Amino acid sequence: MTTLSEAVRPGAVPDQPADASEAPVRGLWRQGVVVFCENRLALVGLGLFVLLAGVCFLGPLFYHTDQVHTDLQAVHLAPGEKGHPLGTDGVGYDQLGRLMLGGQTSIIVGLAAGILATAVGTLWGAVAGFVGGWVDSAMMRVVDAMMSIPSLFLFMLLAAIVTPSVPMLIVIIGAFAWLGPARLVRGEALTLRSREYVQAMRGMGGTGSRAVRRHIVPNAIGTVIVNATFQVADAILYVAYLSFLGLGVPPPAANWGGMLSDGLADTYSGHWWLLYPPGIAIILIVLAFNFIGDGLRDAFEVRLRRR
Amino acid sequence: MSESTVRHEPAAGEPAVVQPLLELRDLDTDIALRRGTVHALDGVSFEVMPGETLGIVGESGSGKTMTALSIMGLLPHGGRVTGGQILFEGRDLRSLPADEVRRIRGVRMGMVFQDPLTSLNPTMRIGVQVAEPLRVHQGVGRAEARERAIDILRRVGMPRPDRIVDNYPHELSGGMRQRVAIAMALVCSPRLLIADEPTTALDVTTQRQILELIDDLREEFGMAVILVTHDLGVIAGRADRVAVMYAGRVVETAATATLFRTPRHRYTEALMEALPESAIREGGENARLYSIPGLPPDLSRPLTGCRFAPRCRHVTDECRTTDVALSAGSHQYACLHPVPAASAAPVALPAPVRVEATPEPAQPTAAPDEPAGTPVLSVRSLVKNYAAHGRGVLRRGAGQVSAVADVSFDVGPGETFGLVGESGCGKSTVGRLAVGLERPTAGQILVDGTDLASLTGRERRRMHRQVQLMFQDSYAAMNPRMRVDAILAEPLEIQKVGDGAARRARVASLLDQVGLSRRVLERYPHEFSGGQLQRIGLARSLALQPRLIVGDEPVSALDVSIQAQVLNLMRDLQRELGLAYVFISHDLSVVDYMADRIGVMYLGKLVEVGPARDVVRAARHPYTQALIDAVPSVTPSAATARDGVTIRGELPSALNPPTGCRFRTRCPLAQEICETEPPLAGDRHQVACHFPLRPESSGTPVEAGTAA
Amino acid sequence: MVRYLITRLGQALVVVVLVTVIAFLILHLLPGGAARATLGKEATLEQLAAFNHDMGYDRPWFQQYVMYVQRLLHGDLGYSYQLNQSVVEAISQRLPKTMVLSLLSTLLAIVLAIPLGVIQAVRRNRWPDYAITSLSLLAYATPIFFMGLMMIILFSQVWPVLPPEAPQGFTVAEVLADPAGLVLPTVTLAIVTIAVYSRYVRSTMVDNLNENYVRTARSKGLSERRVVLRHTLRNGLFPVITLLGMYLPALFSGALVVESLFNFPGMGQLFWQAALKRDFPILLGVTVIISIATVVGALLADLLYAAVDPRVRLRGSAS
Repeated sequence: MTTLSEAVRPGAVPDQPADASEAPVRGLWRQGVVVFCENRLALVGLGLFVLLAGVCFLGPLFYHTDQVHTDLQAVHLAPGEKGHPLGTDGVGYDQLGRLMLGGQTSIIVGLAAGILATAVGTLWGAVAGFVGGWVDSAMMRVVDAMMSIPSLFLFMLLAAIVTPSVPMLIVIIGAFAWLGPARLVRGEALTLRSREYVQAMRGMGGTGSRAVRRHIVPNAIGTVIVNATFQVADAILYVAYLSFLGLGVPPPAANWGGMLSDGLADTYSGHWWLLYPPGIAIILIVLAFNFIGDGLRDAFEVRLRRR
Repeated sequence: MSESTVRHEPAAGEPAVVQPLLELRDLDTDIALRRGTVHALDGVSFEVMPGETLGIVGESGSGKTMTALSIMGLLPHGGRVTGGQILFEGRDLRSLPADEVRRIRGVRMGMVFQDPLTSLNPTMRIGVQVAEPLRVHQGVGRAEARERAIDILRRVGMPRPDRIVDNYPHELSGGMRQRVAIAMALVCSPRLLIADEPTTALDVTTQRQILELIDDLREEFGMAVILVTHDLGVIAGRADRVAVMYAGRVVETAATATLFRTPRHRYTEALMEALPESAIREGGENARLYSIPGLPPDLSRPLTGCRFAPRCRHVTDECRTTDVALSAGSHQYACLHPVPAASAAPVALPAPVRVEATPEPAQPTAAPDEPAGTPVLSVRSLVKNYAAHGRGVLRRGAGQVSAVADVSFDVGPGETFGLVGESGCGKSTVGRLAVGLERPTAGQILVDGTDLASLTGRERRRMHRQVQLMFQDSYAAMNPRMRVDAILAEPLEIQKVGDGAARRARVASLLDQVGLSRRVLERYPHEFSGGQLQRIGLARSLALQPRLIVGDEPVSALDVSIQAQVLNLMRDLQRELGLAYVFISHDLSVVDYMADRIGVMYLGKLVEVGPARDVVRAARHPYTQALIDAVPSVTPSAATARDGVTIRGELPSALNPPTGCRFRTRCPLAQEICETEPPLAGDRHQVACHFPLRPESSGTPVEAGTAA
Repeated sequence: MVRYLITRLGQALVVVVLVTVIAFLILHLLPGGAARATLGKEATLEQLAAFNHDMGYDRPWFQQYVMYVQRLLHGDLGYSYQLNQSVVEAISQRLPKTMVLSLLSTLLAIVLAIPLGVIQAVRRNRWPDYAITSLSLLAYATPIFFMGLMMIILFSQVWPVLPPEAPQGFTVAEVLADPAGLVLPTVTLAIVTIAVYSRYVRSTMVDNLNENYVRTARSKGLSERRVVLRHTLRNGLFPVITLLGMYLPALFSGALVVESLFNFPGMGQLFWQAALKRDFPILLGVTVIISIATVVGALLADLLYAAVDPRVRLRGSAS
C-alpha cells in the first residue's frame, strides 16, 4: 500500500499558511472538463455524436427528399444515379434522406428511453437503498425477478401486445431497462450512506434528508450520469433488435435498425448501399455514447482522486 | 532484548576484512507517473554487514520503502533504478541476468511487508505458499516441501503448524499472518531479510512479539536484517546501526546507540524532539512538542542544496545552494551545521531547543487531576452489543458481540481524558456512543448533567453542539465534492446558527484558530495534506463551540513531525477555549502526553482509570503494564529496565468474551478467583483487578469518588 | 456456507415466484384477456365465456393465480391453437437445441476470452491491450444480426466454406450431426460474449495484479509467468464464475436474435415466430421457462463460486 503513495505524497499546498494558494483555484466542474478533454476517445465520441445528430436533425433542412410517397419508378437505384447520392431503396425512398429520418427516430428513442430508464432506476434504487430493511429486500427481489427475464423476450412480448410507435417504444424500453440503474444506484446509496462524512454530518445533528440532499445525491450523480450514457447506447441497440425481429415502428416511419433489417433482404441482390450505411451508423452512434460514458467516468472520478 | 551495541563485537576478533553482505552505491530510483517523474531515491549509499541489523528510518516520502523495493526489484509500475549499484555478496544485481537475480532474491534474500492482511494469497493454502520458494528454486518434492513448511512455521512460533499448513490466510489473525509471512521469507534460509514496516499494522503487544521473533531468528539463522520503519522506538530497541532518510537521501548513519545519544544531522535532532516521549521526559506534561514546520519537498521537482533546509531552524544561505555529501567515518551525516558533538551529554537525549515558547505558562485548567463542577461528559455503566450476523431473516440468533461492557467515566470541563487500548477493545465505540452516532444498548450518557436518552429529537440535536467528534481520517470524513467553506459552514447550517454573513465570519475565524490561511476556503479536501486536513477537521469540530471534542485517533495517520503540529494545536485550543477532550488512541506515548487522566480498555471493559502520570509510571493492572512494556521507546535504557509483564497469545473473540476478568486468559497472574469479575476499585487511580501490581500510590484520596 | 446456501436458495425461490406473478399479470393485461389470447381473434363470445369458465378465469384473481401456479407445477403451460400443440411439448422440442447453442458459444467464449483478458491485463496500456479493447468495443456496438450477416457474407458468399443456415434437425443429435452448420451461429453468438468476458477478465486480473500478495509472490523470486498463472489467474477467474450466471439473460437474448437470423430451430425462433403471429400461450410459456432457466443458471454459478473460492467457502465456519 505504501509503494506509490509513499513516493508521491508531498504536494501542491504546503502546510505553511502563508503560501497556501500557490496553485490556481479551480472548480470541480472545470477540472472535470479538463480531464474529459484529455481523453481523446471521449472527444471523438462527443464529436461523432454531434456530427451524426447534426446531419440527422439539420440535414433535412438543406437536403429535401420525399420520405412519405413511394416512387416505384426509382427503385433500387445505385448511389449517384438520378441525383440520389446514396441511391434508393426497394420502394424508391432516397437512402440518404431516409438515413437522416431514421437517425432522428433512433437518436430520439435512444435518448428518451435511456433517460427514462435511468430516472426510474435511480428512483427505485435510491428508495430501496435508503429505506433498507425488508422494503429493500422486497424491491430488490422484484428487480432480480425482472432481470432474470431476458430483456429481449420481455420487449417482444410487450411489442406483440401493443402496436409499436415511437412513444410506445420509448415506454417499453424505458419500462424494463431501468433494472440495471436501479441495482447500481442502490449499491451506491448503501455505500454512500455509510461514508464517514455522512456520519460526521449526523454527529453535528444533521437529519436524514440533509444527508440525501447535500451528500448522497451530489456524490451519486456522477455514477448516474455515466450510466445514463450507456443506457442510451443500449436503447438504440434494442430498437434495432426489435425492428430486426419485425416489431419495430411500421413504415413510412423509419429507424436505422429497421433500415438495416430491411437491408438484410438485399444481401444477395448486391444492393450494398441499403445494408452498410445504416449498419455503420448504428455502430458509430453506439460507440459514440460508450466513449462519452468512459470520458465522463474519468471526469467524475477525478474529483475524488487524492494526490 | 539485549543491549544493542554488544552485537557488533564478534567481528572484532577476526582480521578486519569482513565483506559487506549488501552495499548500495549511489542508488537512484525514478518513478514515472502520468505527469512527471518522481525522483524517489537520489544517491542512496549504505552497507549491511553479515549478521547485523540495519534500521532505515524516515517519514512518508523519505524513500525508505523505495530503497527496500529497489533492492528486491519490486518497484511499482513505472518505477526504475536509473543509476548506481546494488552489490549483494560482491556482485552487482543490476548487471546480472534477470533469471540469476530472481534466484538470488528468492533464495538469498527474503522480504516481509507491512500489511499482513493483504500480503498473502487469499486462495492458496498456507503450506503451499510458504513452501513455494523451495519447490521453485530448490526442486524440493511436494511431501518434503510440506514437512519443511511445517518445520519453519514451528520455528516462527505458530501453534499447531501441522494444521495451519492446510489453512487459508483469512482464517488467521493479523499477527499470525505476519508470522506466516516471515516463515515464507525464511524458508530458504536467506542471508538477508528485509522487513518493511513489519509491525505497523499490528497492535503493540503483537508488535513486540513479532520484533522479538525477528531478533531471535536473526541470530538463529545468522542472517542480516534491514528493518524499515517510521517508528524511532522500533529502531532504537532492535537495530545495530541506523540510516536516517529524508526526501530520497540518507542524511545520517551511525551505530544505534551513538545516533540516539548524539544525533548530528539537524533533521534527526528535530525528529527526536518531535516525539511526545521526549517532551514528557524533558519538560513534564506541559512541555510543548517541537514541531517541524512545513512539509517534505516535492520530489518531482529539481532540488538543490540540503533538502531539509526549508524546514530547518539552523538554515543558512549556504544550505540552500550546497549539496552536502555524507561525511566519512563510522558516524556519517550530511549537514553543514551539525549538532555540536560536544553538547552530547552522556545522558539520554539532547535538550530540546524550545523555539516555540509556551504561550501561557500557568495552566488555566484548574487542578487537572480532579475535574471540578459538573462533568461535561459522564458515562454510566455503558453497554453496547452488536448482533453478530444481524442481517437477513435466516441469520438471526448468531449471538452478540460485546463491544462495550459496563464502562463508566467522567470528563470534567477543560480536562483531557485519554482512552487507550488495542484494536477491538471498544474505545472507538465508546467515542461514537458519546457523540450520539450510535445508541447504547444499556447505560447512560450525560452531557452537562443531562441524560441524552431523556431528550427528544430536537433537543438531542441541540445537545450535539456540546460534544463533537474529530476523525482519524479527515479526508474520509469530508464530502469530496464540497469546498472547505461549505464543509466548515455545514455544522452552523445544521444547527441554524446565525445568518449567511455571520457564518462566513465564523468560518474565517475558525481558520485563524487552526492556523490556516483564508485562501483555503475555495479549495477541495483532496488538495490538502494529512496535517492540514486534521486542522480543517478540528476547525469543523470547533464550529459549534462545543465543550468537549472526542478525538478518535486524531493523529494516528500522521508523520511524527506533522503529528507534533496537530497535538500542539489541540493543546493551544484547549487552553484558549477551555475545551475538554476525550482522546482515543492506541498510541500510549501520545495519550500520555495529551491526557490528564487515562482510561485503559481491554475487550470492552475499562480495566484501569487514573491520573495519566500514575497510570503510565505506576500501572496497577497487569494488562496496562504489558501495554507499557510493549511500547518501543527511543531511550535504550528504558528498554532494559522494565518489569517485563509479557502477554502471549491472541485477543479472545468479543463474541464469547471470557467470564469474570476478561484478561484472565492471557494474564500471567491469573488465578481461580479471576473467574469472578473484579470491580473497578480505588479512589483516584482505580483498577479492576484481583491482584493489582501495586497499591494506589501516594496521591491523597479525593473526598468524593470522581468516577461512578 | 450452509447459511449462505439456504439464503441463496430462498432468494432464487422468491425470484421464481415473482417471475410467475409477472407472467400472470401480463397474461391478464392482454387485450381481451387470456381467453382471447389463447383462442385467437375468430373465437365467438360463447367460446370465450366457456373457456373462461373452464380455466377458472371468472373467479377472483388470487384464486386464478393459485390455479395458474398449480397448472404450472403440473407442467401445464397452456395450449397453442396456432401450432396445434401443447406449449410444454413445443418448448421441450426446442429447449435442448437452444441449450446446445448457448453452451457451445459460452464454451468458445470462455476458451478465447480468458487468454485475451489475461494478455490485456499483463500488457495493460500497451498495444495488445488497446487492440483487444477496441475490437471488444466494436463487437459490443455492432447489432448481433448485422455481425451474423457479415459472417454469412464472408464465409458463405465471398469465401464459401460454411452454410449460411443452421442445421434443421429435429433432435439434438441431428443438430449435432451437422457441425458445419453450427459454426456460424455459435461463433456469432460467441463474439459479443467474448467481448464482455474478456473485458471482465481484464479488469479482475488488473485488480489482482495490483494486490499486495502479488508483490509477495514476486519477492519469492518467482517468474512472472508463475506469478500470473499460479497466483493471479486463479483469483482473477473466481469472479468470472458469477459473471457466467449474470450474463445468462443477455446470452438468451442473443440466442433469440441468432436463431432468428440463422433459422435455427430453437426456443428463440419459436418465440420469434409466436411473436409475429401473436401466439400468446407460447410467448408466455417460453418467457417463464427461459426465466426459470436463468434463475437456476445464476444459482448454480453462485453455488459453484461459493464451492471453489475458499474465502466464501470457509466464511461461515470461521466465526
